[in-house]
Amino acid sequence: MTDAADGDGDGPATLRVLGLTKTFGDNIVLDGVSLSVNKGKTVCLLGPSGSGKSTLLRCVNWLERPDQGAIFLGPTRVGFRNAGSRIPMTARELAQVRARMGMVFQHFNLWPHLTVLENIIEAPMHVLRRPRDKAVHTAETLLKRVGLIEKRNDFPSRLSGGQKQRVGIARALAMEPEVLLFDEPTSALDPETVGEVIAVMRTLSTEGRTMLVVTHEMQFARETADEIVFIDRGRIVEKSAPQLFFACPHTERARQFLQRYSVR
Amino acid sequence: MTSADLISLLQGAAVTVALSLAAIVIGVPLGLGFAILVWRRIPLVQLIVKTYVSLIRATPLVTLGLLIYFALPAVGLQTGPVTAAILTLAINTTAFNCEIWRAGLMDFPKDQLDSAQAFGMSWPHTFRRIMLPQLARTCLPALVNEMTLLLKGSPAIAVVGIVDVTRAAVRIGANTYEPLPPFLLATALYAAIVFVFVRAQRWLERPSKLDEVRV
Repeated sequence: MTDAADGDGDGPATLRVLGLTKTFGDNIVLDGVSLSVNKGKTVCLLGPSGSGKSTLLRCVNWLERPDQGAIFLGPTRVGFRNAGSRIPMTARELAQVRARMGMVFQHFNLWPHLTVLENIIEAPMHVLRRPRDKAVHTAETLLKRVGLIEKRNDFPSRLSGGQKQRVGIARALAMEPEVLLFDEPTSALDPETVGEVIAVMRTLSTEGRTMLVVTHEMQFARETADEIVFIDRGRIVEKSAPQLFFACPHTERARQFLQRYSVR
Repeated sequence: MTSADLISLLQGAAVTVALSLAAIVIGVPLGLGFAILVWRRIPLVQLIVKTYVSLIRATPLVTLGLLIYFALPAVGLQTGPVTAAILTLAINTTAFNCEIWRAGLMDFPKDQLDSAQAFGMSWPHTFRRIMLPQLARTCLPALVNEMTLLLKGSPAIAVVGIVDVTRAAVRIGANTYEPLPPFLLATALYAAIVFVFVRAQRWLERPSKLDEVRV
C-alpha cells in the first residue's frame, strides 16, 4: 500500500484513512472510506445525518473499532502494532496514539466534577506527564486564547454551551496534538453561541493546525476548509476543493444535499 | 435496671457498631469490585457475581448466620462467633452494595468515558480520577441507607452467640422481669447510632464544590 494512492495534497499526510469499513450488525455504516489530511490542512466532512461521518471520526482514534481498513497517524498504524501485522496494540500503546490526536465532541464531554482548569490539565499531567506548573501555564495561555481565562476555576455546569465547547477545544489543544478531530462541535449549541466556537476554529485553521472536521456549518466549511469530503451512506461521494464543491458539485447527491442547506 | 445492666447494654451497642462497621469496611469496596466485574461484563465472573447477589438477596440474615457458623467447621475452617458474625454481615451487605454500585456504574455518562479514552487515559486512571469521585457522590445516599438496614438487621447474628444490643436487652428483661426499660434504651441506642450514620452522610454531602456537578 503506497501513500501515493491517496496523497492528493502536496504536504506530507498527517492522517491517512484507507479502505475503512465498519458495520453495526447488518448496517454498513462505513463502506471502504479513504481520505487523508495533510499537515496544516483543514478537511471538512459533510453529509446527511446518519451518513457515517461521526463513526468515521470515532474510528480514527479507535473509539470505534473498524472492521477493515487502516488508519495511519504519521507513520504509526492506529490500533495495530505495525503497518502489516494483525497484532493489536496494547491498551497502553493505544493510549499513546490517542494522546497524539485531540478530539472535540459534539456534547463537549467535559468532566463535570473538575473545574475548567482541571479539565484542561488532567490529561497533560497524567498522560503526557507534564509537571503541574507547566500544564497550568499552558492551560492558562489556551484559556486566554479562547477568551475564558476568567472562568478558570468555574465548574462546567456554570458555563454556556459555547463556553463549554471552547473549553473542550482548549482541552484538546493542551495535548499539543498532531491532528484535531472535531465531531459536530456546534450541533449541540444555541444558534447565538455557534459563532464564538466557529471563530476559534477558524483561527486554528488559519494558523495551520491539522484538522478533520465533521460539521453542518456550511459557511465554515466553504470559507475555511482546504478540502471537502462529502459522504453519503458510508461512502465518499465527492472530494473536492470547497469553491468547486459549493459552486458546482459533480454528483446529484451532493447537489440535493446543498440545496437542502441553502433553502434553510 | 442496675448500672451493670446499663453497662452490658452499652457493651452490646459497642459490639453492634463494631461488627457492622467491620462488615461495612469490607462490604463497600468489595461490592464496588464485584459491581465493576459485572459492569465490564467479564465472562463467567459476572455470572458468578450475579448468582451470588441473587442468592444472598433471597437469604434471611439469621439463616445465613447459622449456615456460616455451622458450615465453615464442616469444611475444616474453625471460626469463632465474632468471625462468623462479621462474615455473615459482610457477605450480606456486599451483595446489596454491589447492586448500588452497579446501578451507579450503569448510569455513568458514557460521554465522559469517551473523552477520557480519547485523551489517552488508562482505565485505572479514568476510574480513579473521573468515575469514582462522581460515583461516590451519587451512590452515597443508597450506601448509607444500606448501612442503616445492615445495622438494624444485625440482631440476627445473636444466633451464633454474639451479645449485641438487642440480645443484651433480652437478657436484662429476662432477669429483671421488666423488659420495657432495657428495650426502650436499646431502641434509643439504635436511633442514636443511625443518627450518627446519617449525620456522617450529610457531612459528606455538605454543600461544596461538588454541588455544582449536576450538569
